[in-house]
Amino acid sequence: MAALGAPRCLWRCAAAPLGLPRAGRALAGSRGHGQDAGSEADKKESHATKPCFTDEAVQSLLYKMTGLDLQKIFRPLKQELKPPTYKLMTESELAEATRKAIQEAKELLKMSPVLSEREPIDDVLAEDRILEGTETAKYVFTDITYSTPHRERFIVVREPTGVLRKATWEERDRMIQVYFPREGRKLVPPPIFKDENLLTVFREDRHEDILNLCIAQFEPDSANYIRVHHRTYDDIDKHAKYHLLRSTRHFGGMVWYLVNRKKTDGLLIDMIQRNLMDDATCLVSLYHILHPDCQSAKAAKDQVLHGVDLIKVFMKTESNRIGYIELALQAYQEALASSAAL
Amino acid sequence: MAASRGLVLLRTAAGNLPWLAPLRRLFWAQTAPAASLLRLQHPLLRVFSTEADPATPAEPVAFDTESRFKEKPWEYLETEEYIERYGEKPVWFGYRRNHKGAIPPQKTRKTCIRGKKIAGNPCPVCRDQKLHLDYRNVKLLEQFICSHTGVTFHPTHTGVCMKQYKRLTQAIDKARDHGLLSFRIPWVTLQDEDYSNQHQAVAKTPPAPSLQSQAPWYSWYEWQQPPEKDIARIRKIYKNYLKEETGPA
Repeated sequence: MAALGAPRCLWRCAAAPLGLPRAGRALAGSRGHGQDAGSEADKKESHATKPCFTDEAVQSLLYKMTGLDLQKIFRPLKQELKPPTYKLMTESELAEATRKAIQEAKELLKMSPVLSEREPIDDVLAEDRILEGTETAKYVFTDITYSTPHRERFIVVREPTGVLRKATWEERDRMIQVYFPREGRKLVPPPIFKDENLLTVFREDRHEDILNLCIAQFEPDSANYIRVHHRTYDDIDKHAKYHLLRSTRHFGGMVWYLVNRKKTDGLLIDMIQRNLMDDATCLVSLYHILHPDCQSAKAAKDQVLHGVDLIKVFMKTESNRIGYIELALQAYQEALASSAAL
Repeated sequence: MAASRGLVLLRTAAGNLPWLAPLRRLFWAQTAPAASLLRLQHPLLRVFSTEADPATPAEPVAFDTESRFKEKPWEYLETEEYIERYGEKPVWFGYRRNHKGAIPPQKTRKTCIRGKKIAGNPCPVCRDQKLHLDYRNVKLLEQFICSHTGVTFHPTHTGVCMKQYKRLTQAIDKARDHGLLSFRIPWVTLQDEDYSNQHQAVAKTPPAPSLQSQAPWYSWYEWQQPPEKDIARIRKIYKNYLKEETGPA
């Protein structure tokens, strides 16, 4: 671009080597499955460094825990009503329709990425002091080539002082929304994302709605996205409303957040109370993957435990609410025994 | 003021038809408590007097209800007065527009209140001055949204004037923005984008050498002493016009 002029080509060779030290963090953040170079590097590194959200093992565990309640995923929404359609199907046709529904549900349950917060941009490209006093407003120059990805778009700001700098992340998001508007995204984030209004929303149990709004409005690595998600997860954990997010695409992110901060007790109790033993064992194994140095992980590796024994060992060593978990387990086992007796 | 006009009409109507006096709830006049007080104080004397009413009849000063409900509009929906008037039904229930023919015009009137004049048969929101369309009284706003589809009713359905309808839609949007009203969220899937932030446009660019070394951006921003030869040459040309020697500024 003409504005940047000659000095940029000098920096291109300087900029390339700087990319490498950030590879570890950046690649960990990217979404990829199997074939990408990024996740291969992750698999190699996973023994040495922390496992990532996008690892195959982690993703499979999270999907198992999310569940697949078709009644909840395809529940009727408030929309313009039209008369219902009825179809007469044979058993095989019904099975085929259910299979298609499950496939579509899996698409709808694709988790949104969990990334670390993006680093702020504050690079000065040029300083033309001769322009000081000529203008009273900032000028924003945006590259509006249709084919460039938004993350590769150059957006620069000329200040009234004559300084030419790169636009900050907020300015970037705003300009890209102006020229390439996305559906569901507003130019100015609505006040619903402020902390006091979030409380109103949580009181009405609309956690899934606010998370969907957040995905529509913010980029996954922006500070607001991360803050809203963390507030929502904290509120759910505080009031034990885990069932609100089950069978939605946000459940995986919530479990990841809780396990990273070792706040799994409430979730474990909830799972046991709802007789979801497989999910409970998945949760404990995920905990062991993320914190391989803890006592229960080592004990599980030594003794190769499964099922209820795994949970018991975890409960004794890692959890804070041993009493509640014991009670829940007892109730579960009694219910199991009575149903077996029947 | 609309209040005074209502009171005047009420008094003259009561005067003309004494049997109407006990009927408190005249649809088109607001039921201000002071109106009934005035009627009780001067039941007969005022009715048969021929002199015109004084310039400004007494406004309801005691309660100052309008400003009270302006601050907290949701309180009016719990008062006895509201329940007596509307019951469980929405405020627009039972309102009938006056128009010629079977099919109503597809736009309601532009506004019920122009300056000090009120139109006949004002719309459900204008006829009750205690109803305030505020983004905070969600119960009132919900009455204008269909509970099955989530769509705001068309003004021909509820009978509100266009000005109030515009204020209503603004209040509904503001309530949705503040999280007080629930609505259907558009479903947005995140495309598989590259979030590595390694492209030059968003990654750190090393600053230019002149920025790092605090040198001026263009060399001519600072004073550059010209070479001695050029100075000498110009002095020689303008020898006759030179003033006293002064050093370079």
